[in-house]
Amino acid sequence: MATATPHAPTAPVVVPKLDYTPQAVPPPEPTPAEDRVRKHYLNHDTSLLGWLLTVDHKRIGLMYLVGVSIFFVAGAIAVGLVRTNLITPTGAILELDQYNKAFTAHGTIMLFLFLIPVIPGVLGNFFVPLMIGAKDMAFPKLNLASFYVWAFGAMFFLYQLLVGGLDTGWTLYPPYSTKYSHTNVLYAGLGIFITGFSSILTGLNIIATVHKMRCPGMTWGRLPLFVWAMYATSVIQLLGTPVLAVTVVMAAVEKLFGVGIFDPKIGGDPLLFQHMFWFYSHPAVYIMILPGMGVINEVLTCFSRKNIFGYAAVAWSSVGIAVVGFLVWGHHMFLAGQGYYLSMVFAFLTMLVAVPSAIKVFNWTATLYGGVISYQAPMIFAIGFIVLFTIGGLTGLWLGTMGADIHLHDTYFVIAHFHYTMVGGMMFAWQAGLHFWWPKMTGRMYSDFWSRLAAIVMLVGFALTFAPQFVVGYLGMPRRYPNYPEEFQIYNVMSTAAAYIQGIGYLMPAFYLTASLFFGKRAGNNPYKATGLEWSTTSPPEPHNFPATPTVYFGPYEYGVPDGLSIVDKMNGTHTNGAAAKQGVTSGS
Amino acid sequence: MAADTATAPAGAPGTVGPVAHHFNNMPQQQASVRFGMWLFLVTEVLFFGGAICAYTVYRLWFPKDFEAGSAALNVGIASVNTFLLLASSLTITLAIRACYDGSRKRLMRHLVLTTVLGAAFLGLKAREYQLDYVEGLVPGNFSYLTKEAKKEYDEAREADPSLPVEPESAFNENLKVALHHAKLKNKDGQPAVAGQDYEPSRVQLFFMFYYSMTGLHVLHMIIGLGILVWQIVLTATGFFDYSARYVYIETMSLYWHFVDMVWMFLLPLLYLCGPHNFQQVTEGLAQAFGAGGGH
Repeated sequence: MATATPHAPTAPVVVPKLDYTPQAVPPPEPTPAEDRVRKHYLNHDTSLLGWLLTVDHKRIGLMYLVGVSIFFVAGAIAVGLVRTNLITPTGAILELDQYNKAFTAHGTIMLFLFLIPVIPGVLGNFFVPLMIGAKDMAFPKLNLASFYVWAFGAMFFLYQLLVGGLDTGWTLYPPYSTKYSHTNVLYAGLGIFITGFSSILTGLNIIATVHKMRCPGMTWGRLPLFVWAMYATSVIQLLGTPVLAVTVVMAAVEKLFGVGIFDPKIGGDPLLFQHMFWFYSHPAVYIMILPGMGVINEVLTCFSRKNIFGYAAVAWSSVGIAVVGFLVWGHHMFLAGQGYYLSMVFAFLTMLVAVPSAIKVFNWTATLYGGVISYQAPMIFAIGFIVLFTIGGLTGLWLGTMGADIHLHDTYFVIAHFHYTMVGGMMFAWQAGLHFWWPKMTGRMYSDFWSRLAAIVMLVGFALTFAPQFVVGYLGMPRRYPNYPEEFQIYNVMSTAAAYIQGIGYLMPAFYLTASLFFGKRAGNNPYKATGLEWSTTSPPEPHNFPATPTVYFGPYEYGVPDGLSIVDKMNGTHTNGAAAKQGVTSGS
Repeated sequence: MAADTATAPAGAPGTVGPVAHHFNNMPQQQASVRFGMWLFLVTEVLFFGGAICAYTVYRLWFPKDFEAGSAALNVGIASVNTFLLLASSLTITLAIRACYDGSRKRLMRHLVLTTVLGAAFLGLKAREYQLDYVEGLVPGNFSYLTKEAKKEYDEAREADPSLPVEPESAFNENLKVALHHAKLKNKDGQPAVAGQDYEPSRVQLFFMFYYSMTGLHVLHMIIGLGILVWQIVLTATGFFDYSARYVYIETMSLYWHFVDMVWMFLLPLLYLCGPHNFQQVTEGLAQAFGAGGGH
């Protein structure tokens, strides 16, 4: 009988001992005939409202997938215009103001509507509960609300684009944005504010889920590194986004009421805006890259059949990036009038934040060493990530060095640097994760050939697009200018041509992934023979993820244990054949 | 027997309440709900922290101007409002206890009391904004010259015909009148805020912070009142008769306390940073509850 006290006593925490005893009888996979009639999260309620008002984290993840894909296309079209315009030194197709609007649209859409929500919204939503053995996020309704808040904020961006666009660049620096620009700064600001709120809610949900919803045996030391990365990301979202929100509020108040908090005429300081903007927006690049780094851990271990090298180092480096990432924002303002000694401190801290990133890269290469590597599409993307992110990260050190930055500031070198991290890093990690988990999400395998080809096309297209920009930036071509001296044309033409190749690469998954839904062969529970908890349930998972609450006996990357697959099966709650192995230690807490 | 509690009719005495579908047990659910609100408050701290940080920068740069701006604010209303908010913090805490004890009547009483106190705060705040507007303490695009300030300016112009027909800054003239009415003296009997002490445009900066920070606080109050009304409705329907649901009242109270805390920061930052005297408190209140607006 449930007691009447509102404080039900907490059950003692049981941590199952480390135990590799394989499952005596592996659980049966559903046969194709069974699979066709099986109820899973996709088909258990197919009404329109069943989708629109769902609180299932997996369905919300798919809704995010559709949303961010649409905005990725929009952002890509904008940059297509920019790159095409840069074919000739005087601008091929766009007027000067149109050019400003095109690159601003590219920046705002790609950052606020694609890069920030993509992995937390899609893969984070879908897989964090699955990986920790929970039935759902801690706050399912809040999760749905955060999707609609995001969609609502995105509408403001769309509206702003339709009524004439924005020409301030994504950074919205005053006094241009608050005083001189006659474009739609307020709508864009509102869009940033609202999508930021959605970002906060997603982060809050993930942190609460990781803290409170882990299944028995899922200790912090057994959490998949993707979950660690999502956790660190969420901390940044929680701490950084509100500062951006209040900054945007102040800028909006300034624009509306005409009294400048950032207007030097009355004693305000535009640099304050930059400080507060970058206090969020520099950590925001870690919001974008950390989930990607998390994905890479899962993919690399699986396709090299090895445990991760240095689990604790990789896990804590995510947290380290989240913490130190908050202390480096001033390196965006070396040439903006910031104090000289302040700049020196920021330059030093910028070097410091490279350390945890380097720890990750070293650990990944050490993981690959001696592994049994198979080059399926997710692995090609993951290796692409490591190479491109390393280049992007190291060139970041050039920019973080005060002396070098004086030469390189606001040139195409900067553009190339952050595209190497954001596109070469994040975009490739996103593709790696999407391909890795697509069978789990949909229950279908995509075409092996086409996916590998797409990965290679993207890789080649990417490298050829941005490598020339390093050169032309070093030679002095400034960013955001529509015109340039004729001797730079060769680099720009190369860049533009490769951008088209890249575009083709990004279009390919849209076709073969869609085709896989109809023609792909059934994936089965665990097509890659991976050892994460999410692979122990069916594909696609049932509405509540697992038949019963699973129990975890070991870490997430046990590829070195003989018969690794059957130990995964053991974690699934329905199959308790190895019950003898279930004696846990009881630690009262 | 979880099944029993899940199917028990709403309001059945002595039941803890059903556990939501995705939680394993009630302690997990309660801990998650509580933890979620604390996380949300972290973001709120950063949100107001950003504004307070910007305020601090300018306050350090322009202390005299900020004091002049503060001297023109209505400390009477602010004092009463502080009392109202602190009282509402007490009542919401009593509401948690009432819900924990399973007493619907007491819970209802305390929730309604909290709502009334919060609404009274907002009403007074609205009156204060209105008085500020009547006194012409509006910076930027919406500024205008009050009648009294115009009269004083015209008198000054008769004495010194070199002054332009229209004052350069309407806000400045209004501010002079407002400070003149405050009649603040320092120890030597001299006016505490003299005209040469401040730059009017920077006082406008102070007023930007005043309006935006109190405005954001008011917005949070409105949201809080909305949730309170919703919880009153839920109380009436018997939702909170499940004693474990006291945790929702508790999380609401966390939010409410936070909004109070913000006010406890705004009060010294905005109202108390300038010179004030007790007379101003009584005058401010007389103004607030008097027939007319202004002086």
